[in-house]
Amino acid sequence: MNPTEIKSNILTTTLESAINWGRKNSFWPMPFGTACCGIEFMAVLAARTDLARFGAEAIRFSPRQSDLLIVAGRISIKMMPVLIRIYEQMPEPKWVISMGACASSGGVFDTYSVIQGVDQFIPVDVYVPGCPPRPEGVVEGLMKLQDLVGEEKLSDYSPASDK
Amino acid sequence: MSPATITSQLKEKFPEAILDITEFADEKILHIKSQHILLVLTALKSAGYNFLADLTAIDNLTLGGFERFAVSYHLLCHETAERLTVKAYVSEEKPTLPSVESLWKTADWQEREVFDLYGIIFEEHPNLTRIMNPDDYEGYPLRKDYPRLGRKERDDFPVVNRGIRKKKPLE
Repeated sequence: MNPTEIKSNILTTTLESAINWGRKNSFWPMPFGTACCGIEFMAVLAARTDLARFGAEAIRFSPRQSDLLIVAGRISIKMMPVLIRIYEQMPEPKWVISMGACASSGGVFDTYSVIQGVDQFIPVDVYVPGCPPRPEGVVEGLMKLQDLVGEEKLSDYSPASDK
Repeated sequence: MSPATITSQLKEKFPEAILDITEFADEKILHIKSQHILLVLTALKSAGYNFLADLTAIDNLTLGGFERFAVSYHLLCHETAERLTVKAYVSEEKPTLPSVESLWKTADWQEREVFDLYGIIFEEHPNLTRIMNPDDYEGYPLRKDYPRLGRKERDDFPVVNRGIRKKKPLE
């Protein structure tokens, strides 16, 4: 083979960055829409903001086929066990976006029946503020998550690094 | 039959059942003792109030009233489009009422809701279980003496950890 062809056809990189590149550009989101944020999330997928530009258009309604949980809406005490079950059903690697004020902090619903932030019980990677957030805000949150995934180490997932 | 006629008729028919008759915004409100509620509502249904528009409850803890709880039945006559409110008073010690599910099927879920949130027991209800709160929920959250922020039920869930190294937060 011609040496110039080799130069233009072979790319050297680390396994870590190749995997992270793949992961961060092909999220399969699972929307957990319980309120108006779920409606706003539809706008995120629609033509104007179009989440497909970030490789995250494959919306799955099965947690077993997705790696990004988008909690969109307030979570009541009756829904929290369901959310925990859904999160646990997702295979690793998995990430969580808490979309909007209610999922992040309970929002205006400071009553006995509403969870004051899902991060009390499941790990959240990115919080998107707003009530509901504008689609641009959700896209910004997804880009932040892409940055975060890009910085992950393979050793993060090994049990040895747990201690 | 107009509300004025029916209330005066009821007053003659069940003098011991009616605590008071008041009027608000041109609509009559009947205040009834709890043990007579089924009789009164049966009479009202046969008098033309065929539709139970709403069934709810009021906690009179801070308002004052004949008893601690008032269960209010909002009746509507489809023929004349006239409305009538009936309030049944039940005490805190014995919060029981006969179910009106036999008169209006719609009372089924509405009585379950009142039971769920106020703890009022509707006797002979076909399925008196909680309708909105979790089945193992304790307490009746719409009672005025229930703390607004609950009794830690919203903080009492297992915490799921990722089981991997904690990532450093983004700048």
